[in-house]
Formats: sequence, structure tokens, C-alpha cells
Amino acid sequence: MSFRRHPVAGALALVVIGYLWIPILAVAVNSFNRSSLMVRWGGSTAHWYSLAFHDHNVRAGLVTTLEIAIGSTLLSLVIAVSGSLWWRRASPRARAVYDALVYARIVLPEVVFATALFFLFLKSHFPLGIVAIIIGHSVWNSAYAAVIIQARLIGLDPAVEEAASDLGATPWRVFRRVTFAALLPAIIASGLLTFTFSFDDVVTSYFLGGNSSSPLPIVLFGMIRFRITPEINAIGVMVMLFTVTLMCAAVAVFAIMGGARRGRRGAFAEFYGQ
Amino acid sequence: MDDDLAGGEGSIVVAEPASASRVRIPDRLIARRHRILAGLLVAPTAGWTLVFFVAPLILITVFSFASENLVTFNVSFGWTASNYGAFGGSLYLWTLLRSVGLSLGTTLGCAVLGLPLAYFITRQRPGVQRILLACVIVPFWTSFLVRTYSWVNLLQSGGPLDRLAQGLTGHRFEVLYTPTSIAIGIVYSYLPLMVLPIYVALERVNPDLYDVAADLGARPWRQFRRVVLPLARPGLIAGIIIVGVPAMGEYVIPEILGGGKTLMIGNIIVSEFLDVGNYPFGSALAVSLMTILMIMLFALRRVQPALEAR
Repeated sequence: MSFRRHPVAGALALVVIGYLWIPILAVAVNSFNRSSLMVRWGGSTAHWYSLAFHDHNVRAGLVTTLEIAIGSTLLSLVIAVSGSLWWRRASPRARAVYDALVYARIVLPEVVFATALFFLFLKSHFPLGIVAIIIGHSVWNSAYAAVIIQARLIGLDPAVEEAASDLGATPWRVFRRVTFAALLPAIIASGLLTFTFSFDDVVTSYFLGGNSSSPLPIVLFGMIRFRITPEINAIGVMVMLFTVTLMCAAVAVFAIMGGARRGRRGAFAEFYGQ
Repeated sequence: MDDDLAGGEGSIVVAEPASASRVRIPDRLIARRHRILAGLLVAPTAGWTLVFFVAPLILITVFSFASENLVTFNVSFGWTASNYGAFGGSLYLWTLLRSVGLSLGTTLGCAVLGLPLAYFITRQRPGVQRILLACVIVPFWTSFLVRTYSWVNLLQSGGPLDRLAQGLTGHRFEVLYTPTSIAIGIVYSYLPLMVLPIYVALERVNPDLYDVAADLGARPWRQFRRVVLPLARPGLIAGIIIVGVPAMGEYVIPEILGGGKTLMIGNIIVSEFLDVGNYPFGSALAVSLMTILMIMLFALRRVQPALEAR
């Protein structure tokens, strides 16, 4: 019997995919559930959505989250793009150090990093708040962006740039019209990815937010811990729709803007260090 | 893992001879210009990483050897190891052991669930592969907090899974706010991070290889053990690192699914910093966690080439 259609593998795959999706479906169903205990179905209602819509904390949190996500994404892109361009021509030793630091920023548990940065800000009297959160997010976000952009750079043949230069293009023009143009899909994709990560972050924001600014995940975290309400499900559904739309846009951009196969697969491969 | 990157094909020599001869600028000046450019390019990432990543980690390492007077909050440096001693002799050691156990257990769980799924996906037609991959990745993009919270509803007593278990087996399934519910939450959240690298590793395999094994008479289980597993190994190890290391410092999942009763080391670190304010002790906990993880990482890096050589 061929293992390809082996019933055990197929059944297991279906169960695992179900495991991944059931909680999401439960959130979606409960967001319309009239029963606030969420144990049984109590008829449908849109009450939780209107509650979420008019919740002042949620609205303020959303604005704060968007400010943080946009700020940290732009910052991360500047760091990652310039770093990757340097990395391309650096010596093997310098590259090894750079790669180790990128890798460390991705795998170090966020709790350790967030406490350490919190402590640094505390000791240097740097005010906690939106700016502190943006700095914190950009530290790990720039590492994710760097991995994706580097994967794209590896796929870019230097001969193309040499050809442009031979044909009389100035170095700046070569960069703008060849290098940057080739990197653009990776920049857009990693920008959207880092935006989503920032949008979803709890731990770093929890430490660096101080008392004043609470982004949406922190507002939700507080709600989850102190008062269980189906309003969370309604907010959750809206947040999910938003991030999924963004990520689909990221994938579409990557796929449409050419070189997608090598780019995306390369990004996976680089990310997982193979 | 980084060796690949370091020797990548993107490395080129600094000055292109063609442009140099055309513009006729002395090589020395070009080299200098390139050095300045390289300095400008590396400055943001170097500065940012050193100031906001390396420096804080050094700071907590230094502070973990300091001692704090809990009445006056004066910190004095005597290079004392007492923070580590207090840690070793306390209840916290159990929390640390629980974290290590949960990290190992959930990593194993992710591998057991992820490997067959990744293999199954690579064996489908390209179109089906893409749909299945989306099924794995899309949940990972949606709000982590809300997905974790959803398990509170699913696992609560009298909830859907409890009733299902009662209907099927007659036993109750009350695991909310126990290590089991934390494990379910962690495996759930980290599973895509295990499936993707294994998928990448297996996707490169020529499918004929499986047919050869089957033609030579290998039964499905033997095919899996002797062909699929060795081919999946690089991806599996990458997945183990990317799941096991962050899972050990998990804070949010035990906070929500542990109900404040069952804690992991991440929760203790947070409360030492934000609630108690004993920074030297909190630092010692964070540094211990980091040290354990580094030891595990180095062990895995040593194992990897040995396994690949086989």
C-alpha cells in the first residue's frame, strides 16, 4: 500500500487541522452567542459587537496599537534594509556575528528580553510609554524583517547590478532601479508581517507601556484576566479579520511582484536556518 | 545554522572593476568610499542591537549578582551569588522544573502532531498543498490572545470538550487551570512553527524515493521510520529550537490557562519585576532561564551535524 494515501496519516492530518481551527470557530460562534456563560448556545445576538464598538478603552487601545505598529514597522524596516545591504558585502566573520544577533533576537524568550529592556529604561530614567514600546518591538521585528530581506538578497544576482553599472548607471541609480526594486516585494511583505506581530504583541507592551498607554492586546489581556465577557470574542473576530486581511495582502504582494517562488521558499528556508 | 548564511552566494568583492576603470577614480578612494558607506549601513542595526538588546541583557546579568535591601531599596554590588542561592533552595526551583518539563513535553507534542501533518501536505498535489499550508498558517496570524482565551471556553467544566468526553467515555474532562491545559495551549500556539520547517525539509525530497522504498517492500511504518524521518530531521531540529526555546519562557499562556495557580518561570520573572520589585532576584531568574536555554541550544547544535552525517 502506498503511504501517500495512508488513512492513518490522512486522518491525523485532519484532526490536527481541526485542532488548529476549532478555537477560532468557537470565538466566531460565541461572538454571536446570547448566553454570556458561553457554555451553551443561547440564541444569536449582535449585542457584543455593539458593546465592543462603543467601548472607550477598546477604541483608545486600537489607536495606540496602530501608532505603535506603524512606528515600529517603519523603524524595523530601516534597520533591516540597511543592515541587510551591509551584510551582503561584509566579511564572513562580521556576518556570523550579525546572523547570531538576528537569530538571538528571534529565539530569546520575550519575557527575558522585555524584563531586561524594562530594567534598562528604568535605570536610565527613560520614560515608559508608546515610544518605549516602539523601541522594544523594533528590536525583534527588525530581526524578522532582516531574515526575509536577506533571503531576497541572496536570490539577487550581482551580475544584474554590474550590468546596470556597465551600461552607465550611477551607483545611486543602480541601487534605486535594480537593488531596491528587487527588494521591494520583500520589504512590503516583511513590513506587513512585522506590523501584524507588533499589532498582536502582549509581553513587550505589558512591560514597556507604563501606566499611561495601553495598546489593544493589553486592554484585552486585562479583560481576560479580570472579567470574562463575550465582548472579547467580538473584538477578537474583528482583530482576526483585520490581521488575516493584512497577511493575505502580504502573501499576494509577494506572489504577484515576481520571483515569488524563490523568495517565499527562500524566506522559509532562511527563517528556519536550512 | 548560520554557517549556511555566512557562506552564502551573495558575497561579492567590494569594488567592481568595470565601473572603476570607467570613472577613473583611484582604487584607494573607492575603497574608502565603500568603507564609509558600509559604516553608514551597519550603524542603525549595530547601534540598535547593542543599545536595546545586548546592553539590557548585560545589565540584568550584572544585577543578578547584586543584592537589594528590601526595606530601603538600595542596591549594593558585592558580586554575591545569593540570588542564585535563594533561587536554588526555593519553591521556584519547582516552577523552573515544571517549565522545563512543559517545554520538553510540548515540543514533543508539536513534533508528534506536526511531522505526520507536514509529510501528508508534501504528498499532495501542489494546489492542495497550498490550501493545506494556508490552513496551518492562517490561525497563526490571528490574534494569539483571543485564540488562547478561546481555550478557556472550550475547556471549562460543562464546556464543549467536557460534555463531549462525558458523552463518549462517561468520564469528565476537567483540565482547565492545570498543567494539562497549559500544555494544550502551548502545543496549539506553537504547532505551525513546527510544521513549516519540516514541510520545507520534506518538500525538497524527490517523491520517487518513497515509491522506491515501497517497491522494495517496506511497509508504511518502516517507510516512515527509515525514509521520512531521516529526511525530515533538519527541519525537525529547526522546529524543536523554534518551539522549545520560546515555549520555556512562555508568560501569557500560563497566565490565562493556568488561572494564576499553575505558573511557569516566565510568570515568576514578571511578578518579581512588576509586582515585588526585587530586581536582582528577578534578574537572577531571567539569567538562569537564558543560561539553561543557551546550554540546550549548544547541545542541539552539537547534535545536529552528528545526526546529519549519519
